[in-house]
Amino acid sequence: MIGVNASIAIIVIGVIMLFIRGTADNFTLSQLVNYEAPSSTLNSSLVPLTGIPAGLISLDAVYYITLGLWVLIMTPVTVVFVAFVAYVKEKNYIYGLLSAIVLVNIFVAMLFIPGLIGN
Amino acid sequence: MITVYAAVIKFILIVVSGILGGLIGSLTGLGGGTVIVPILSLFMGVPLYFAAGAGLISSIATSAGSASAYTRERIANIKVGIGLEVSTTLGVIVGASLAVYVYTKGLEGVIYVIFGLVLLFSLIPTIRRGKYELPQELKKDRSTGIFQLVGSYFDSKMKKEIKYSGVRWWLGEIVVFVSGTLSGLLGIGGGALNVLAMDGIMNLPMKVATTTSNFMVGITAATGTSIYWYEGYIQFFIVASTAIGVLIGAFLGAKILVRISNKNIRWIFFSILSFLGAQMVLKGLNAESMLVLNDIIRLAISAVFAFVLIFSIYIVSRRKEAVARPS
Repeated sequence: MIGVNASIAIIVIGVIMLFIRGTADNFTLSQLVNYEAPSSTLNSSLVPLTGIPAGLISLDAVYYITLGLWVLIMTPVTVVFVAFVAYVKEKNYIYGLLSAIVLVNIFVAMLFIPGLIGN
Repeated sequence: MITVYAAVIKFILIVVSGILGGLIGSLTGLGGGTVIVPILSLFMGVPLYFAAGAGLISSIATSAGSASAYTRERIANIKVGIGLEVSTTLGVIVGASLAVYVYTKGLEGVIYVIFGLVLLFSLIPTIRRGKYELPQELKKDRSTGIFQLVGSYFDSKMKKEIKYSGVRWWLGEIVVFVSGTLSGLLGIGGGALNVLAMDGIMNLPMKVATTTSNFMVGITAATGTSIYWYEGYIQFFIVASTAIGVLIGAFLGAKILVRISNKNIRWIFFSILSFLGAQMVLKGLNAESMLVLNDIIRLAISAVFAFVLIFSIYIVSRRKEAVARPS
C-alpha cells in the first residue's frame, strides 16, 4: 500500500508539472498527448531509466511519471524479495528456492528479454 | 499544436475511463486491466499496445492497492501465490514476447479477437463466484506435503476459523502458466484463470483463491510491464491518467461492494463486459478483414449478443437456485 501511494503521488506531481510547463524531455505537449499518432508520440522505449536523476533535477515531467511507474512496478517485486528473506531465515528451503526462482524470472524479464527480442 | 486546455480535457476523459474500469473491475472481481483495455482501445482511440500497457500498469495498481488489505486479514496464502508465480512469471515472459512478435507483424486484429474471447470466457467462472461455498475436502496428495499447501483463515461471515488443504499443485502450475501467457499477450492481470486453478484444481476455498490471485496479479503484471517498457508500449500520458483513474474506481468499488445488498446489480456489469468482449472480437475480425461490418452494425450485434447471453445465464442460474432451495 505504501508503494502504491508513493507511486501515485509521484505520478500526480508529474502530471501537474506536465500541464504547468507544457513540455517535457524536448517533446511538445501535443507529441505527449496525441497518442493516436504512435510514430511521433513519446513512448517508454525512448526514455532510458539512467536518465531519471538528471530528469528529476531538471523538473522534467516524464521522468517524474517514469519514477512513479517504476516505484509501482517494484512494489510487488519487493514483496517477493521480503518473502524470500523470510523463508531463508525460517530455513524453509523449498519456498526459499521457489521465491528465488520467481525473482530470477522477474530479473530475466527486466534485463535479458528486451535484448533478446529487440524493439 | 494542442493547447493545455485540450490536454486537460483529454486527461479527464482517460481518468474517467480509468474510474469506470476500476469500478467494474472491482465490483465483478475481474481486476483493473481486463476492463480498461477494451474501454481505451474501443472508445478512446488508443492503439491496442498502448492500451495493453495501461492495462498491465492498472493491474499492478489495483492488486497492490488491495492486496495489503487482504494479507492484513491473512486470507491470501502467500506460499501458494509464490509457488504458482514460478510458472506465471515464465508464462508472462512468453506472452509478452509473443505480443511483440504479433504487433511487429502488424497482426493486432488477432490480439483483439483473443482478448474478446478471453473476456467472454472469464465471465463464466466470475459469474459462478457469487456463491461462497467451501470445497469438499479431498484426500491429500504428495504435493500437499511437499509444498505445504495447508492453511486457515477466519471467515467473518461464518464466524469461525476455516482450515483447508490444497492438492494437485503441478496441475495448478500448468494452468497458471497459461494465465501468465494471456497476461503478457493481452495486458491483463490473468486473475480469472488463477482463481480457476486454485479453486477448481487445487481445491482451495474461493476466498483464499481470489485473495491469493489478487496478490499474484501484481507480480505477473510487473514482470510483463518491464518487457512492455523496453518495447515502448508504455505511453506516459495514457498510463499516468489511467493509473490515477483505476485506483479511484477500485476504491469506490470496494466502498460500494460493502453496501450492495442486492446481488442482481452484478448482472448489469456482466452485460457490459460481454458487450465489450463481443466488440473486441468484431473489431479484430474487422481489422483482419475477415468480417467487415460498419461501426453501427458491430455495436448492434454486440448489444444483442450481450443481452441474450447474460439474460439466458441469469435465467439458468435462477432456476438452479430454485431447484437447490425448494420452498
